[in-house]
Amino acid sequence: MSRRDRRHRRHLTRPGSILRLPSARIAVGVLAVVIFLAIFGSALAPQNPLTINANDLFQGPSLHHLLGTDYLGRDVLSRLMAGTRLSVFTAFEAVAIGFVLGGPLGIATVFLGKWFDFAANRVADALMTLPSIFFAVAVTAALGNGLVQAMFPVGILLSPTFFRVTRAATLEYARAQYVEAAELLGASKLHVIRVHVVRKVLPNLAVLTAQATAGALLAVSFLTFLGIGVQPPAPTWGGILSSDLDYLNLSPWAPFIPGLLIAITVGALNALADAFRDRTGPGTLVVADPVVKTHSTLALEAADDRQPAA
Amino acid sequence: MAVVAEWRSAAGDDNVIAPRRRRVRSVASRIGGGLAILIPILVLSSFIVYALGALSNSNPAATILGQDAATPAAVAKMDKALGLDKPLLVQYWDWLTQAAQGHLGTSWFTGIPVSQSIAQRLPVDLSIAVLAVILAILIGGTAGTVAAVRRGGWFDRGVTLVCSAVSTLPAFVVGIILVVAFAVAWHLLPANGYVGPTGGILPWLQHIILPALALSLQVAADIARQLRTSLVSVLEQNYIVGARVRGLPYRRILVRHALRNASGPALTILGNDFPLMLAGAVAAEAVFSLPGLGQLLLESAQTRDIPVVQGVLLVVSTFVIVVNLLVNTVLNVLYRSGDGVAA
Amino acid sequence: MTGNPPPDEVLGIEDLHVTVHDGAATAVRGVTLSVRTGEIVGLVGESGSGKTLTCRAALGVLPPGCDIRHGRIAFGHQDVTDLSRRGWERLHGTGMGAVFQDPTSYLNPNLTVGGQLAEVLRVKQKLRRHQAHRKAIGLFTAVGLHNPGHVFHQIPSELSGGMLQRVMIAIAISCDPRLLIADEATTALDVTIQAEVIELLRELRDQRGLAVLFVSHDLAVIRELCDRVVVFYAGEVVETGPVEQIIERPRHPYTQALLRVASVGDFQRRQLEVIPGQPPRVGEETTGCRFAERCPAAVPKCLAGPVDLSTLAPGHHARCIRATDPELALITAGQSAAGQSAAAAEMAAR
Repeated sequence: MSRRDRRHRRHLTRPGSILRLPSARIAVGVLAVVIFLAIFGSALAPQNPLTINANDLFQGPSLHHLLGTDYLGRDVLSRLMAGTRLSVFTAFEAVAIGFVLGGPLGIATVFLGKWFDFAANRVADALMTLPSIFFAVAVTAALGNGLVQAMFPVGILLSPTFFRVTRAATLEYARAQYVEAAELLGASKLHVIRVHVVRKVLPNLAVLTAQATAGALLAVSFLTFLGIGVQPPAPTWGGILSSDLDYLNLSPWAPFIPGLLIAITVGALNALADAFRDRTGPGTLVVADPVVKTHSTLALEAADDRQPAA
Repeated sequence: MAVVAEWRSAAGDDNVIAPRRRRVRSVASRIGGGLAILIPILVLSSFIVYALGALSNSNPAATILGQDAATPAAVAKMDKALGLDKPLLVQYWDWLTQAAQGHLGTSWFTGIPVSQSIAQRLPVDLSIAVLAVILAILIGGTAGTVAAVRRGGWFDRGVTLVCSAVSTLPAFVVGIILVVAFAVAWHLLPANGYVGPTGGILPWLQHIILPALALSLQVAADIARQLRTSLVSVLEQNYIVGARVRGLPYRRILVRHALRNASGPALTILGNDFPLMLAGAVAAEAVFSLPGLGQLLLESAQTRDIPVVQGVLLVVSTFVIVVNLLVNTVLNVLYRSGDGVAA
Repeated sequence: MTGNPPPDEVLGIEDLHVTVHDGAATAVRGVTLSVRTGEIVGLVGESGSGKTLTCRAALGVLPPGCDIRHGRIAFGHQDVTDLSRRGWERLHGTGMGAVFQDPTSYLNPNLTVGGQLAEVLRVKQKLRRHQAHRKAIGLFTAVGLHNPGHVFHQIPSELSGGMLQRVMIAIAISCDPRLLIADEATTALDVTIQAEVIELLRELRDQRGLAVLFVSHDLAVIRELCDRVVVFYAGEVVETGPVEQIIERPRHPYTQALLRVASVGDFQRRQLEVIPGQPPRVGEETTGCRFAERCPAAVPKCLAGPVDLSTLAPGHHARCIRATDPELALITAGQSAAGQSAAAAEMAAR
């Protein structure tokens, strides 16, 4: 590679360079707003999300209530803003669990011998097929009706995908360096591996994290929609959606608001994942999201399936 | 037809075993491998399922007996009746062996055998899931095929756009949209409830079509996208040209050669998405008020009716794992060239 | 070759121009050739010379982006230049068949080879399953496959290149076509198998009157098998004639150079030779003879304008203004230093 090519390539791998894609810029913008709301949402809400106002039921959008009011006269916008925190934080919780459980295990499995690797792979296969929602609900039976508990199984069932990604990256390195995986001697080698493997794994991990977060967010919305972890009157995105459904006759357009919010956030995460993926090039291992559906591509088709305009 | 003189060929005589038998053996070994994994996986997941229940610290005896009657002696007696006094592993083993015979225990609160409750509710989910799969294959398959055949055309671009949009919408949001559109706004189809096929085929279909559609759209989008990519790649292959110069009609080439070889990844997606469809079925049940397994699970989770929870989980996990095995087997049969998907 | 084609002409290509990359470049320039019943015509030339595209055009399977811009292709009495898809479907298999260089890639990797042959028989000849099976076994035997019943149930990856090529030939001739187009059919095979396949083609010609268009860059094989040869260079036909004449007394400098490089015929040499320079890129436009840049016998007149085919003998044509020059062969062999340096001096003066 010529020197100019090398410099160009390094330029591409700097994190800031994702922002070159317009879709990625929008996505990052949206996510920044969401995270901001998650942290400061309740403080910034124009109205108190809990105030019941019996005179103003089912109002349409107005100056006072930018997104209208719900079946108890509460300001929808404020409720959505306040509900962001719970949704976002518990989504992160699940992703963190998946990451911590799956990631290091994926690296370790390359060095722990064939049988361990085989067993780990089979377990990962099985875990990936299991529907996490069912387990999330079941866990609430065991551990109480809390969202935090419910996201445990979601996180656990996310870990196989992290496992796969880190394992693939580690394998690539181990093979490339002809390192006999079992004969790992000396801290210096460990350090080198840590540095190289981490560098190789980061782009794929970025894609996966974005997708996993999207999936976890959907899972949270779904669970709160089902009534898990919701302590009324505390607002959650899914909870708002669910109650809107009950009053569909009176206000058929109401569910679109939280629905749109969920969709936009999830879409932004997916766009971010796509932006990461574009820069990691073909052959990237992208695995199916095991939670409620978001975006699924298979490693079998390495070619990017977005065709340039003919 | 004159017989050309016999010449020895360079290779090919080395295969002494008849080719068909050899391939069957390889497929069989793969199925066998799948089964061998299946058992430990099932055991593992059932154990997790069971352990969840055991973790619950709930005291069903007390709840059943009620506050006043829950004296320690009565509780101990009830515990014994419920089988809760034995060590965990023994309980697990009893439960598992019973489950293998179809007895999943009895609800702590209603006294109804779990298998009965499940059997009652299963057809609801099954009919929706099966219809959803059919719809997904029809919609996704057609869209993906047409998009690939008319590559670059307006249909192709439209499909790509729609697929991206649908991908972000979770099944329950789609379901809600459908309800709003078809049931509330246009009053075409019922918004909720379920009528079994025994109550008439048409009402049954009317009730399940919306939830099935809601469930199928995401999977259909994924199938369409994947099928399009695979098909475009397959159609560029030499053997399609080979089939053309043999004079085979285009439609036949498309279906029996191209689609057949290209559908592998799409089918895998279907197999992978199936557990997600189950989750979506729970969503659909919530949106459309259907009396299915999801609702059963929710209710029993709320009341902490552990045997029911365990039973439902076991049934669902087994189902999912078995379906995955089936999908893998089908793929093995369709793609005999030994290296998986031929594209 | 205007007017009515001779009664036994199976394939007639007239002044064919084929563009590639959606018209950006012309890869086949005014190619004219014909094949008669029972005749084996060899197309020889380097990669990129246009011989494969000509075949593809004759078969109606031009790759996407390639079009016939000018010219006429006739199959027997039928003009197939603008034939519809349905028309081609009817023609393929029953009128003309084809075998290609890499038989593995031209067969469906997931179906048995016997099944693919039987499929053709069932669809094109409306045979029943067991009839098709029986005929397939017969065809496999006819092409020299050992143990045809066994081979029937194998998938392509389980067979060797030689066997697969026989399978392809069996499929191609299964519906008794009049013409077989073989595009580098023996190139990927090793020498012994090559000989067998060549013998097979010859037998098919003898027994069925099969006309064969045989593309190859291997002059030795061409010499073995073909009755007539068409030499391609840079998208044009530069020489055509009966095989003995082309091999023994080639009249075009390029043909002479090819034979020398291939060490075939009278041009055996003792050391490795190459033709210096590169052919023009596909679609590159040149004035005058397209070989002139690399031709040791080139004179300024060669670059003046397009060169037509001159007739040297009945059936023998060459696209060279010095074709009749008896010194030509010596010049190109580099044995006439005077002639060469004179030519080079003239070229330098331009």
